[in-house]
Amino acid sequence: MIIQAILLAYLLVQVQTASGQSPSEAAKLLQSATDAETRGDLDQAIADFRKAAELTPSSPIALLKLGDAYMRKHDYGAAIPPLKRAAELSPDSQPVHQLLGYALLSQGYAAEAIPHLEIAHESGALGIAQLQADQPAEAVVNLRNALAKSPDDPDLVYYLGRAAAALSSESNERLLTRFPLTARGHQALGQSYYSTKMFSEAEEEYQKAIALRPDLPGLHLELGEIYAAISQWTNAEEQFRHESKLQPGNSEAAYRLGDALLHQGKMKEAAEELRRSDSLHPDMPETLYALGRALVISDPNGAERLLDRVIAIEKQSPLAGQAYLQLATSHRRQGKDKLAAHDIEEYKRIQSITLKPEQ
Amino acid sequence: MIRICLLSLLLSLSAIAQSPKPSPEPQFNLTPLHGVDFVLRNSPTSRKYLIETMPGGVALLDYNGDGLLDIFLVNAGHVTDPLLSPANFDRHNPSYWNRLYRQNKDGTFTDVTVQAGLQNAGDTNYGMGVAVGDYDNDGFPDIYVTNFGRNILYHNNGDGTFTDVTSKAGVGAGGWSTSAGFFDYDNDGHLDLFVTRYLDWTPEKSKTCGRIAEPMYCPPGEFGSATSILYHNRGDGTFEDVSAASGISAKPGHGLGVAFADYDGDGFTDVFVANDAVEQFLWHNNGNGTFTEVALDSGAALSSAGRKLSGMGVVFQDYDNDGLPDLIVTQLPHGLYGVFHNDGKGSFSAQELEAGFGALSGNSSGWGVGLEDFDNDGWKDVFIVQGHVFDNVNLYDNSLKYHEPPLFALNRSGHFSKADPGSDLPVAGRGAAFGDVNNDGWVDVITASLGERPQFFSNRGGKSHWLTITLRGKRSNRDGYGARVQVNGQVRFATASGSYLSSNDKRLHFGLGSADSCDVDIRWPSGIRQKLRGIKADQFMTIEELEQ
Repeated sequence: MIIQAILLAYLLVQVQTASGQSPSEAAKLLQSATDAETRGDLDQAIADFRKAAELTPSSPIALLKLGDAYMRKHDYGAAIPPLKRAAELSPDSQPVHQLLGYALLSQGYAAEAIPHLEIAHESGALGIAQLQADQPAEAVVNLRNALAKSPDDPDLVYYLGRAAAALSSESNERLLTRFPLTARGHQALGQSYYSTKMFSEAEEEYQKAIALRPDLPGLHLELGEIYAAISQWTNAEEQFRHESKLQPGNSEAAYRLGDALLHQGKMKEAAEELRRSDSLHPDMPETLYALGRALVISDPNGAERLLDRVIAIEKQSPLAGQAYLQLATSHRRQGKDKLAAHDIEEYKRIQSITLKPEQ
Repeated sequence: MIRICLLSLLLSLSAIAQSPKPSPEPQFNLTPLHGVDFVLRNSPTSRKYLIETMPGGVALLDYNGDGLLDIFLVNAGHVTDPLLSPANFDRHNPSYWNRLYRQNKDGTFTDVTVQAGLQNAGDTNYGMGVAVGDYDNDGFPDIYVTNFGRNILYHNNGDGTFTDVTSKAGVGAGGWSTSAGFFDYDNDGHLDLFVTRYLDWTPEKSKTCGRIAEPMYCPPGEFGSATSILYHNRGDGTFEDVSAASGISAKPGHGLGVAFADYDGDGFTDVFVANDAVEQFLWHNNGNGTFTEVALDSGAALSSAGRKLSGMGVVFQDYDNDGLPDLIVTQLPHGLYGVFHNDGKGSFSAQELEAGFGALSGNSSGWGVGLEDFDNDGWKDVFIVQGHVFDNVNLYDNSLKYHEPPLFALNRSGHFSKADPGSDLPVAGRGAAFGDVNNDGWVDVITASLGERPQFFSNRGGKSHWLTITLRGKRSNRDGYGARVQVNGQVRFATASGSYLSSNDKRLHFGLGSADSCDVDIRWPSGIRQKLRGIKADQFMTIEELEQ
């Protein structure tokens, strides 16, 4: 959509310019082609633009418009030759490079598209092309820039996620190739196993990493997360305790430790760690929710305050829905049936929003 | 010198303190069932027909009234690859028959399937589960078998034989039935029948999921939902399908397990349906022949994290001795087994973490479940049969297992801790029935596993006291199903239902700990209350309902 809008604005300007600069017959053809395009008769427009281009072979205008007409017809392959010729004739024209870059990218020629998109300053498309051309580091930079301008574009969010994952994978591969027997090498391999749910292999790599560098921050936390993923909560607790000792100021380690204790039904200890996490990094909704969960039976009023805070922060997210469910539990247990019924209604409302398909 | 000696003493004391405690003896022995040669033949194919991974009902019943528990095992059938319609599961072939094993006085079993007339379950039926109840109050337990296909009601003739009365009774159902149970929802003294159904699945609608090279069974969301069926017992040997009139068929789900209890103390038995991957259903009995589904509003629909459970089996009994029936629901991994604590006034709270299930489940797949006082200490313990639903799950997540040992956890004041079930043999466990097979006062377990013989977890016993009660209803149904029985403060709700696809010993077992006598309080479904005082421990007793 964005591309089409830019093109339309650009072409309107170009049509006016072209009408003034081309020889008369070519100008007539350009005008009739533009009229045909306006009518939606893209085939006629293409035929006229092609003739105009033949009459003015040294002018990039007709070639550009021919390429654009092909692109409007979604025939990106046919758009490439006239656009390439237009770029040769007008090497500094951003619109030409923009169209050519998009055409090449759409046909899978990502590497070839990159220089054109660079000239056109099209950071979003450039990032996508770089991702596809195995340049994840550059892709992350450009996609972040594009996302700063269009923060609500789901395509950009998606590609940024992919680029970041590719960059992480590339770094891991470098680690594995160049430093396989170091703690970081084992850590990278462990992460790789973990991402493919090969938990026992991941655990083994982390154990090797810890044996080499027991004081390296993050190793115990990540190993604990592996144990948590396979519900070995005693082992997870042990690792999170190690991490909390290494990094007493790490709120995530405290949160994870609290969660591991929660899963073992050690509600009092869990609440202590979760409170510590909250003091280190206040108002993290997940921490507040877990703390509310830990207290919901023993301290319903305290739990309700925390869950209300989660809802205030999260508003309509799935976590807010979960908080309403916990509130309902607390209210029911205290005989506050009307409030509980309201909580359930709010839960259902959030469910209906979060489960709604994309429009 | 003195300091050195003291230090050495302290070190040695420390070493004693740190030496591992000897593990307690396991509560069970995995014991051969002499005379039982049954193999649960589910016939897995490359097509991954979902029915293949779901069977395995077990029933413990005393079919001939000799005081010894007998075993009925539901077999599955032969699945062709591909399975063509109309389906033929080759159940004339004896290897696919359901089997009844009569217990002999010496603890061995004899296959009496043919003698009892229970052979040949019908070629169009792929077997699933079993329910047991004396629907005609003649004193002999009848058997209802659920299938993918037509279900079968076998009337116990009282002479060691059974008669297929399905057509006459009108309880054939159809579709894909799973767990079923007898209960008396209108307290008229005649047992009614509830049948859960899983999915709108047929061989034509079957599909595979997962990777092309490694197909796996599809999750239930890939198929349509199904409704449960409620049959009202007219009292003349026939039943009426009241699913629509009662409201039960208004809400389709993915029903796999069913359990009964009067959770709100209004005198009418309610129904809980364990649903797979949708909200759980709690059908509140309105007392006027209708039911209202109240799980979400009452707090029994979702886990404490707000997640839908892949509900498989369920038990509806009181785990924390507060006199109110709670719910334990088994499910698939990456979620904890559900524990819904009955908070009173008709509401529940998900307390799987408080009850200790965070450390017990999470990476296991649970099916049959029992909440019984296995160590007779006065607190009901939990036994869960396990094994993932996908036979190739390790290809997708190597932390998950198709074959798993059971979970046994002891209850200490309402908190469960893992204990040794007496076997770490991994199987694809499914159904489980609970009862005192050898009449020694200690509850045993019989489990069904895909492709395997049943396992018998024989309780090793101990020193604690116990009491086992058989109810005999007069105005109430003869089995006394639906009665609330309290013994020294512990409560059981009389039912043979619960677990997964299975039917338990109908006798009510109570562990008494060190008490050598007890008081018994019964509230019968008829409303009659009965009190017995100073009952001697360590006995099997029959309690007949008073006339008034």
